[in-house]
Amino acid sequence: MALGGSPGVLSAARREAGRLVSSRYALVLLVLLPLAGFALVAAIFWNRLPSDLPVAVVDSDRSLLSRRLVRMLDATKTMRVTGPFATPAEALDEVLSGRAYAVVAIPEHLERDVKRGEAPKVVLHVDAIRMIPASILKRDVKAVVGTLSAGAEIQARKALGEPPDVAAARFEPVRSMRGALFNPGLDYLAFLAPALVPTLLSIFVLVGAVNALGSELRDGTAGAWLEAGGSATRAVLGTLLPQAAWFTALGLAATAVLFRLLGVPLRGSAALVALGTLLLVLAYQAAALLLVAASGNLRLASSGAAFYGGPAFAFTGVTFPAFGMPLAAKAWGALLPVTHYIDLLVSQAMRGAPTATALTPLLALAAFVVVLPPLALRRMGRLMRDPSTWGRT
Amino acid sequence: MRTLLRAFRDEVKGALRDPGALLVLVGAISLYAFFYPTPYRREVLKESPVVVVDLDRTPLSRQLVRLADAHELVRVAARAGSLVEAERLVLEGKACGVLAIPQGLERDVKRGAPATVGVFADASYFLVYRQVLTGLAEATGVLSAGVEIRRLEALGMPEARARAFRDPLPLVVRPLFNPAEGYATYVVPGVLILILQQTLLIGIGLRGAADLDLLGNGPLLARATASVLGRTLAFVLLYAVHALFYFGVVARLFGFPVRGHALAAAALVLPFLLATSFLGLALCVLFRRREQAIQALLFTSLPAVFLAGWSWPPEALPGWLRIASQLVPTTSAIPALLRVNQAGASLAHVRRELALLWGLAAAFLVLAVLAQAARQRRAVRAAAPPQRRAATKP
Repeated sequence: MALGGSPGVLSAARREAGRLVSSRYALVLLVLLPLAGFALVAAIFWNRLPSDLPVAVVDSDRSLLSRRLVRMLDATKTMRVTGPFATPAEALDEVLSGRAYAVVAIPEHLERDVKRGEAPKVVLHVDAIRMIPASILKRDVKAVVGTLSAGAEIQARKALGEPPDVAAARFEPVRSMRGALFNPGLDYLAFLAPALVPTLLSIFVLVGAVNALGSELRDGTAGAWLEAGGSATRAVLGTLLPQAAWFTALGLAATAVLFRLLGVPLRGSAALVALGTLLLVLAYQAAALLLVAASGNLRLASSGAAFYGGPAFAFTGVTFPAFGMPLAAKAWGALLPVTHYIDLLVSQAMRGAPTATALTPLLALAAFVVVLPPLALRRMGRLMRDPSTWGRT
Repeated sequence: MRTLLRAFRDEVKGALRDPGALLVLVGAISLYAFFYPTPYRREVLKESPVVVVDLDRTPLSRQLVRLADAHELVRVAARAGSLVEAERLVLEGKACGVLAIPQGLERDVKRGAPATVGVFADASYFLVYRQVLTGLAEATGVLSAGVEIRRLEALGMPEARARAFRDPLPLVVRPLFNPAEGYATYVVPGVLILILQQTLLIGIGLRGAADLDLLGNGPLLARATASVLGRTLAFVLLYAVHALFYFGVVARLFGFPVRGHALAAAALVLPFLLATSFLGLALCVLFRRREQAIQALLFTSLPAVFLAGWSWPPEALPGWLRIASQLVPTTSAIPALLRVNQAGASLAHVRRELALLWGLAAAFLVLAVLAQAARQRRAVRAAAPPQRRAATKP
């Protein structure tokens, strides 16, 4: 009964809970917006994989072979052929107008030149500003053209007198069999939702705690607050308690939805993920405390929260991995609790890594909870006791 | 017109005395421009660590390992005796992929039987997955081509012909508008446009609704219109400078392709900023306290990134969301501005987005005027003592 036995924490918590329940803004900020954010993430990646990406085709050959190529492109799940376009310039217009992601240009005399062994080139011009469609199209156009090329080689080998089975065995002496570890469906929902949901959660934990602590200073109610808590530490703890409970529950519910309803694999320990979720919430509350104590000003602390929480996703290493980042970016990423939480989620959920690998991210998360509050509490206490610092905006 | 200019002047004066708003409307612009791109500064992810399981241990298998190590996308970071051991190394985060060379590789190749090597990559991080598979598959392809060309040469075929023979229908891939396929070149220009929208929405929220009584005592809707237009004039002028800074200076500093016609970009930026400013002025009446604008709008930048059609294809969005996403200015502005600025598209190429942005600007203008007028009516009613209010009723 370390905390529960202390009436100071409890009465501060009761005071804060009463404020939250009666505030419409708290309902919006702590409940409606987070749920809307989670729902948006799920909706955006609901289809899991892009399909029917429009590709503009210029077939200057109009032969059996070129038409077969176009049919095969159109038959892939990921592509939809638009056109026909008479010239590459016309097809490029489609890309510039945003109606196609790529141009496939089939040269004149394709079929004839293949038969002559002159290796005519099919060119894929792909819009590399839009990287996800570009990489999917590159992979699938390569596969289609590669299949046709292999078929043509086998034909040529047969023409040289090789029996069909020998020709089929010899056309590519060393082949590679590709495989995806841990996310075999190459599913974007399973890839991004486990990263975006905690990032959104961390933003709301941060601004929620900043608002709870900073409002007391801004509204000049810090005196009554201190009284309810008995001491600055207990008052702060009590104020953060209701939101900590709520956001931990929300985070657990969100991860349960990811694992149970959205098909994100959970191969490791659910208990470790749950522990991590609690620590993530506490770590961002600790960061919020530091922001409020350092600024003594709700608006400035909110701006600080925007800087700390807003661009975080880029630094977590989900889209561009940490080992490819310059040191400064890597270091900033390590200073964000959500980076460690996503680490934990990926290794425990997607990969089913051994329990020992969870230790590093869990310790990192715990470090925020242990290290930040002592840095902030003394100054926070001074602010709470000094009415001349209240009311700043 | 005079009230409009008055609203403009009041906004400029007010904003200059408001450090909180200035921090967002001015400070954040350059801070984020240099802070946000830091993770992507190296543009291309190279040298992803892979682990090799070589069960063949022949000159040919060693050649494959050398080819893989020499490929710029991967490096051989470890060797393992078995696939199980290799997977453990991946789970421990020491490697992102596996090159598995089966026993009998060289023997099969010498016999003329097809040999298969396994290339596996960690798909829990998609960029890593792509780079590792590309690197390992290309290294294998180089080995295979070498073997086949040597065989064909042994049959008396000259090398050039052998090369054409083994791949009679080659594919050439030309990345457009981002030739190095750099990650920063892909992400940052779009995000810069998003930063313009988000800081403007939050900044206007911090400034709050104006007191329309300061604009004289004309009809309420006329005062609201003048206030919305006058304040928007101030915001758009400021953000035109920001846009110029982003597209002209920052883009060049980071070496992003700049092919755009400045006029076409300006023609898009104007309705984009108008729509965003009007939206901000419509939203700001919702915030009872100024910092609520930061707190409530902060999270919106994440979904907005994926709704804007360049980082996640709109074809993949559910139909209702694709339509709803058009209400966000960046959904039209980002793809259109990227095509103009980076791909060199003309205004004709972006006319659909241009029309949408003007449509949004018109709709949000009406919304902003009505919202500001309604708020003023509420504020007046709240301020007036009850008996006076009864007396002024017509």
